[in-house]
Amino acid sequence: MSQKFHIRLASQRVNTSIAENQRYPKIFTPGETITKQNEFMRGHGTYEDNGELKSSVAGVREQVNNLISVKPLKSRYNGEVGDIVVGRITEVQQKRWKVDTNARLDSILLLSSVNLPGGELRRRSVEDEHMMRQYLQEGDLISAEVQSVHSDGTLSLHTRSLRYGKLGQGVLLKVFPSLIQRSKTHFHNLPVGASVILGNNGFIWICPIINNSEDSVGGFVQNLEEKVPRQERESIGRIRNCIQALAMCKMMIYDTSILYAYEESLKYSIVELLVPEAMVDIAILTQHRLSMIEV
Amino acid sequence: MSKKELLSKIGLRLDGRRAHELRRIRCKLGVFTEPDGSAYMEQGLTKVLAAVYGPHQVRGSKSKAQHDNVVINCQFSMAVFSTTDRKKRPRGDRKSTELSMHLQQALESVIKTELYPWSQIDVYVEVLHADGGIYPACVNAATLALIDAGIPLKEYVCACTASLANNDVPMVDISHQEEVLGGPTLTIAALPMSGKIVLMEMSQRFHLDHLDKVMNKALQGCKDIRRILDEAVRLHVRDVGSATGWALAT
Amino acid sequence: MSLCEAEKTFVLHGVEENLRIDGRDREQYRPMELETDVVSHAFGSARLRLANTDVLVAVKIEVDAPFPDRPTEGKLEFFVDCSANATPDFEGRGGEELAAEISNCLSSAYSSSLSFDLTKLCIVKGRKCWKLYVDILILECGGNLFDAISIAVKVALWNTQVPKVRCIDMDGNTVDINVCQDMFECQRLDVENAPVMVTVCKIGDKCIVDPNAAEEQCSVGSVVVAVSGNRLSTVLQTGMGSLHPLTLVECLKMGHKVGKKLDEAVKEILEKSPKGGDVGFLN
Repeated sequence: MSQKFHIRLASQRVNTSIAENQRYPKIFTPGETITKQNEFMRGHGTYEDNGELKSSVAGVREQVNNLISVKPLKSRYNGEVGDIVVGRITEVQQKRWKVDTNARLDSILLLSSVNLPGGELRRRSVEDEHMMRQYLQEGDLISAEVQSVHSDGTLSLHTRSLRYGKLGQGVLLKVFPSLIQRSKTHFHNLPVGASVILGNNGFIWICPIINNSEDSVGGFVQNLEEKVPRQERESIGRIRNCIQALAMCKMMIYDTSILYAYEESLKYSIVELLVPEAMVDIAILTQHRLSMIEV
Repeated sequence: MSKKELLSKIGLRLDGRRAHELRRIRCKLGVFTEPDGSAYMEQGLTKVLAAVYGPHQVRGSKSKAQHDNVVINCQFSMAVFSTTDRKKRPRGDRKSTELSMHLQQALESVIKTELYPWSQIDVYVEVLHADGGIYPACVNAATLALIDAGIPLKEYVCACTASLANNDVPMVDISHQEEVLGGPTLTIAALPMSGKIVLMEMSQRFHLDHLDKVMNKALQGCKDIRRILDEAVRLHVRDVGSATGWALAT
Repeated sequence: MSLCEAEKTFVLHGVEENLRIDGRDREQYRPMELETDVVSHAFGSARLRLANTDVLVAVKIEVDAPFPDRPTEGKLEFFVDCSANATPDFEGRGGEELAAEISNCLSSAYSSSLSFDLTKLCIVKGRKCWKLYVDILILECGGNLFDAISIAVKVALWNTQVPKVRCIDMDGNTVDINVCQDMFECQRLDVENAPVMVTVCKIGDKCIVDPNAAEEQCSVGSVVVAVSGNRLSTVLQTGMGSLHPLTLVECLKMGHKVGKKLDEAVKEILEKSPKGGDVGFLN
């Protein structure tokens, strides 16, 4: 195996399932009856048939008071108010932008929901409509918060805070939305030299450290000439590969798991992390460390 | 007539199975990373790959979108090397179009379409090796792929073929050799738990008196297939769920 | 998938520093996985997984009459099918342009007798020859299709077993060929010089090989170089940019260098005689 090329035979394929042998909760599959009592309310993933509550996806049951729902392992992003998302602009329409957030319908960012550059507070005029392209174009990445959910399921986003807005230099990763844990903060400044935005919709943005003291007014200013130093580039590359490893082994992604994976990965060079054996190795070590905290 | 017997005197078929036995089924969920849901299914020697994209915004003409239902878009395609004689075109011929429509018919009956208005679900099926029972394998693989994608279904939709041997004994899960030898083939797609039939198709002919028992044989085959698929889904959920630490469960 | 300016800038600077976004340097490939004998009733088959890109190749053989102007040569035909599994854009006839481009590139790469000797496929001069159908199925698309397909084709041809001809009856104008039925009495094809394609992308001032999907978007222009033995078998320019002649020569040199190393790595792995089996998609 020469230095530059890594070709394996399929018979040497590595098993990415790192499930531990533990007791597991009851799994429901489509068409299976959950309960016959009709005092419960139907949540996501269930439906009623003949007075019985049945599951419509394959997953684990969740119960909150009277509401029973079944959560599948993988699904498209289902937005909820207050979620942080990272999205890509797909269309510029008259008074709004259409954003792709890996949901079942394109999300909407209204012109009135963004901060104007300069932090002005005024009514949007006709000139603003013409200048929309100058703020955000097709292909731009933004971080935003879900303001509301329409009746047909479309999400309405807003960036009315200095933390949100157009994203600058960095790397975008896509993972399944169910791997992102809902937590209080989704913006993490990792001590290893990079920042991570964990969008609830499965889009993860890795970039150099965001300095909050900078004049990120409305977040529309991008620094394109500045070259990211090599040190930070290495951290970003390593974090990216670690997150890929966690995603491949279907582990939950949050700041602690990323940090542990980063520390475990230091024994490999960044490029070696692309090899599946290395990915499974750090995933198992990370899982081990995480389970030790809970004990 | 030196015709090979579909069912020998001791009750064995051409490949050594008994009349009520299915071929070996092996399947795996989540074989690809790009689609929202994917599955690989092997029924005997027939190998099928299914991929599901969606639900997502309706592509192409906005007029296709429905305000109360999701649009289901199926494409059936056979690899050019899947049959013994090399096929010229993978799709676009009449048989592929017909099978795509049948697949759509089967899936529309089981996907909870009212949950996703204005959206579209794409289901793509690719046959890698055809050895009889292609349509049932496609339906079964598509069901698995839909479950992998987390799309709500009323229940499993399974499909199976059945035939009549010696004008008397019904057989289940027909292989290509048995098809070619001239027995009539009945294909059924059904919802095994509720016993409803979604699609029924037949080639050749046999007497109406036999219809009941052949149909029951096929329905029983569907029920057996459902059990096997269910087992595979549970195994998959358990494996993947354990890795995520069951953070999904409260 | 389109990238924004900031992402492109990040990728560009990374390429200049020789540290790409996933940590590779400019001349490194992502890990690959190879398998043979995946399609049971084909004469040879291979499957290659290059990170996200998944390609399945099967080779079938038929007896055919050779072209009248080339009576001592067999035939080799390529067919590329972009499955809709890879991306919904390939539905229906969506993938046909890409498929045509790839199959034309393969045909021209294999057209030279130095890369693949078609005379070995001749049975009876002027009358009968073997025709090889090489069918390529693209299952998943993660950037860098040409490379993955060329390696998979090379391995599939290596894996192909051409039946030996036992005897030939010539009865006036009709020729009857008796082919050996024994599976083990077959001849293998010589793929020593079969071309291996390398995609060289120009990003900014530097060139890289094995671009992933994001890097392909950033490149100004790219060149696909087919390297066979010590020579270049075919060169194809893809993408919408134009290249300065000096840059073109630079790309060709890099493609040649990397191509030779890739070829060696492939030969090394073939020596380990990969056996197919029940791995396939199931594990």
